Amino acid sequence: MHNDKLKSIYLSLLAAFICMLFPWSGLALTLRPDFMLLVILFWLLRAPNQCSVGTAWFMGLWVDLASGGIFGQYALAYTITTFFAVIYQRRLVLFSSSQQLVYVFSLLFLSQLILLILKTFAGKEFMGWSYFMPSITGVLVWQLAVTFGLNTGRHSHGK
Amino acid sequence: MMRGIHQNFDQQQAPAFFARGPSPLARLSFFTALSLALMATDARLQYLAGVRENLMTLLHPLQIVANIPTDLYDAADEYFSTHHHLLDENARLKKQALMQDIALQRLNILTLENTNLRDLLNAKQALVETSTLAEVIHVGRDSFTKKIIVNRGKNHNVMTGAAAVDAKGVIGQVTRTYPASSEITLVTDKSLAIPVQIERNGLRAIAFGKGRDNTLDLPYLPANVDIRRGDKLVTSGIDGVYPAGLAVATVIEMKTTQDSPFAHIVCMPAGGIENNRQILLVSIPQTELKNLPKETPTEKAQPPVAASHTDIPAATDSASPAPAQPPQKTEPKPTDKPAVKSQPKPGNPVTKPSANDESGQNAQR
Repeated sequence: MHNDKLKSIYLSLLAAFICMLFPWSGLALTLRPDFMLLVILFWLLRAPNQCSVGTAWFMGLWVDLASGGIFGQYALAYTITTFFAVIYQRRLVLFSSSQQLVYVFSLLFLSQLILLILKTFAGKEFMGWSYFMPSITGVLVWQLAVTFGLNTGRHSHGK
Repeated sequence: MMRGIHQNFDQQQAPAFFARGPSPLARLSFFTALSLALMATDARLQYLAGVRENLMTLLHPLQIVANIPTDLYDAADEYFSTHHHLLDENARLKKQALMQDIALQRLNILTLENTNLRDLLNAKQALVETSTLAEVIHVGRDSFTKKIIVNRGKNHNVMTGAAAVDAKGVIGQVTRTYPASSEITLVTDKSLAIPVQIERNGLRAIAFGKGRDNTLDLPYLPANVDIRRGDKLVTSGIDGVYPAGLAVATVIEMKTTQDSPFAHIVCMPAGGIENNRQILLVSIPQTELKNLPKETPTEKAQPPVAASHTDIPAATDSASPAPAQPPQKTEPKPTDKPAVKSQPKPGNPVTKPSANDESGQNAQR
């Protein structure tokens, strides 16, 4: 049971990572949701004992590596974001699905904001407001997953 | 981080107070500190280069897996391309081959002549560049950095500092090499600078990536500088990184304002920055570079890698007015006469054969 869960967590994280590695470019890159963070958040809500801030940090490192930026940027953004997710995790169970959506959006937005600050410090250029598009597409992907019956940890969906 | 607790998965909130391990705040501070330390180490010290290299090797199979869908799509696309389309392409290619044949013949003659004249002048032979054909595996996974990963690395003798070129011009420079892949920073990245020359009048400058909009800047040029819209920028070759005469960009905007002593110049890169799969990695052999300084001391001033990074615009600027014009730049003047005699140039009233323009154009073809 326990091992099965761990296995599915790792497999889904791996799948999310491969999604990040797809050769996105142009508009698709602007719209690309942060699959990795979505999957991490999902498991945080679903199985907080198996997936936690440390997992997020570790996966953030891999995303850093893949993006070719300075080590630790994504890791830090994911760490802080998951911290807020963990803090509110118990309350989230009582949320309605639209409330949950707002919550997920704010988390995605937060991680992008942190990343933006870090990248700006590293001397990169802000590319305009379309930078925040992934938060919106991320929420859409989340909603899509919920619509297709993925249990995101709320009681009303509980099996 | 992974707690080994047997617990029913769907009832996570029932258990425990105590089973959760360190508090989220403790974890947050620990991992934040760790990330900050990593960032500082990676940005300021060089310890992590080896780690990154090894991890990238681990990542390589994953990258290939992630590329499978697009590869399949490309293959299918190719397979289903229509008869008509192929015929069209065939005709176009034949025409192109013919035209290139003609150009090539002329090039042979010119090369021969050039070699002879060089011998006569006791000039140094132009550097023979080594080049590797590489294919893009990944295009910008991060919208902040303009970088691509190609499938040739240390194992294929790709070196850091090599220029990345496509059919139309320079697209960037190799900034990191891994065993089986390497990372190319595009000319539009903010941290990349290229020494260029205006094709029309031979003026030297340094082009910097803008970091967005896929454009380049020509900063630090006085407001009265002789640059117009439509001017072509080619590599000047004085940095020992890029072979001279490759197209880099075209000026699309030239503005002067009252409040600034500098002109505001925006250029559009000539190479297909974002739409090519095949890329040529050109590097000038290091051994030849070492011989170079004997004749032209200023060229030694910048080792290949350092020359391309932003922090030394002043150094390169001061180097440019020096009389160290590479020998191949100045002498094609005598070449022109025989060339014109054997091959009359259509539509070019040969009145003033500007040496720089000619050599630049020839190298481009």
